Amino acid sequence: MTFDGSLIIDSLPRLMDGLWITLRLYVLALTCGTTLAIALVLMRISSKKYLSWPVMGYIYFFRGTPILVQLFIIYYGLPQLEFIRTGPLWTFFREPFFCAWFALTLNVAAYTAEIFRGGILGVNSGLVEASKALGMTYTQTFRKVTAPIAFKLSLPAYSNEMISVLKATALASTVTIFDVTGVARKIVAETFAPYEIFLSAAIIYLVLAWVIQNGVRHLERRISRYAN
Amino acid sequence: MQEIINWSDEFLAGAMVIIQLFFVSLLMVIVWGLLGATAKLSNSRIARGIANGFTVLCRGIPEFLLLLIVYFGSAVTLTNIARSWDPEIRFMDIPPFWAGAFAISLVIGAYATETFRGAFLGIDKGLVEAAKALGLTRFQVFWRLRLPMMWRLALPGFGNHLLSLLKDTALVSVIGVQGILFTAQQATTVNHKPFTMYLTVAFIFLALSTVIVVTMKCIEKYAYRHLEAAR
Repeated sequence: MTFDGSLIIDSLPRLMDGLWITLRLYVLALTCGTTLAIALVLMRISSKKYLSWPVMGYIYFFRGTPILVQLFIIYYGLPQLEFIRTGPLWTFFREPFFCAWFALTLNVAAYTAEIFRGGILGVNSGLVEASKALGMTYTQTFRKVTAPIAFKLSLPAYSNEMISVLKATALASTVTIFDVTGVARKIVAETFAPYEIFLSAAIIYLVLAWVIQNGVRHLERRISRYAN
Repeated sequence: MQEIINWSDEFLAGAMVIIQLFFVSLLMVIVWGLLGATAKLSNSRIARGIANGFTVLCRGIPEFLLLLIVYFGSAVTLTNIARSWDPEIRFMDIPPFWAGAFAISLVIGAYATETFRGAFLGIDKGLVEAAKALGLTRFQVFWRLRLPMMWRLALPGFGNHLLSLLKDTALVSVIGVQGILFTAQQATTVNHKPFTMYLTVAFIFLALSTVIVVTMKCIEKYAYRHLEAAR
């Protein structure tokens, strides 16, 4: 068993190409998913059942099934439907990158909505009552009191979700996308040197996860600079 | 609908594979979790270092990549060893089922170390001191006091790990384990109804998740049965 160091150096440029795709997928899915999550959580906490129940079902489905299965439904499954294959949407759904982004975004939205809901429920009800007593409307209270505090409370759980999404991007390689994992699988298929290549890919993910974790810790410290 | 009925036997067999994989991994997760938590709480700096390193690695690397490392890595090593005996051998691997169960258990096990560690820390120190004062040995304190107390505190977190574990079992279809996702892939090549087939897989997972959630609720109720009267 030999460990071939030069193989790692030779495959670095290709892994970096993969890193670019991983990063693009990651940032797009995280930002769009989080935006969608804000809309979802507003519906979820609504007292109107026709708003909250569909969102509950949506969250239940996406949190209860593996991302890989969701991805397969979207990428391999949707073309079975006539209106997708013949309609204008086909331009998007035949692109593997779009499908991976779509699946991850829907997934992020479901998990993040639930995290934000936890944050909103964690806001001290005394604060909300105080804002009401001050004559603030429901919208004002939500924007100026509930939302900022809820965001702060959600951050630790949200940072875990950020790491989970990073790890989930690796699944994109199952639908022919050459992200870091996809490139690594291709190189391993050519060279049959799994240790060298897969471990290099693993280090790339570890570094990314480390950067994300530290970034969030920084943000957390900044947000809570008034507390304690 | 007819397609699902045609493949129902295969789906059932696939579900059995998934469930077996789940329980095999679960046993390993508990072992990793207890070992890791004990190491993290020990006085030995080396044990703490190893446990912390293990956690960082297994939580930072994508589950899917870890699975590939475990399966293909072990296959190459085994093949090389086998070739040194008999150069005729072309390929040798750990059965994908076991490689998959092992890889998944590493990931969830890493998360479980943290949950168990938190739960061990949550035990009232006075109880441990009282047990020691009563003359219980270290093993007795662990077996009769720490473990049952810890278990109760770890339940909510552990329930979430079980859900992640179940969902991670979908990944092993990539290395050829014949779970439900693999069944759907095969069915699709025959009947060209990928949407129906993969949606069926999703609903089987959803049903299994629901079973886990309900079971955990019951176990939690059982764990806190002594407080039932007080409530």
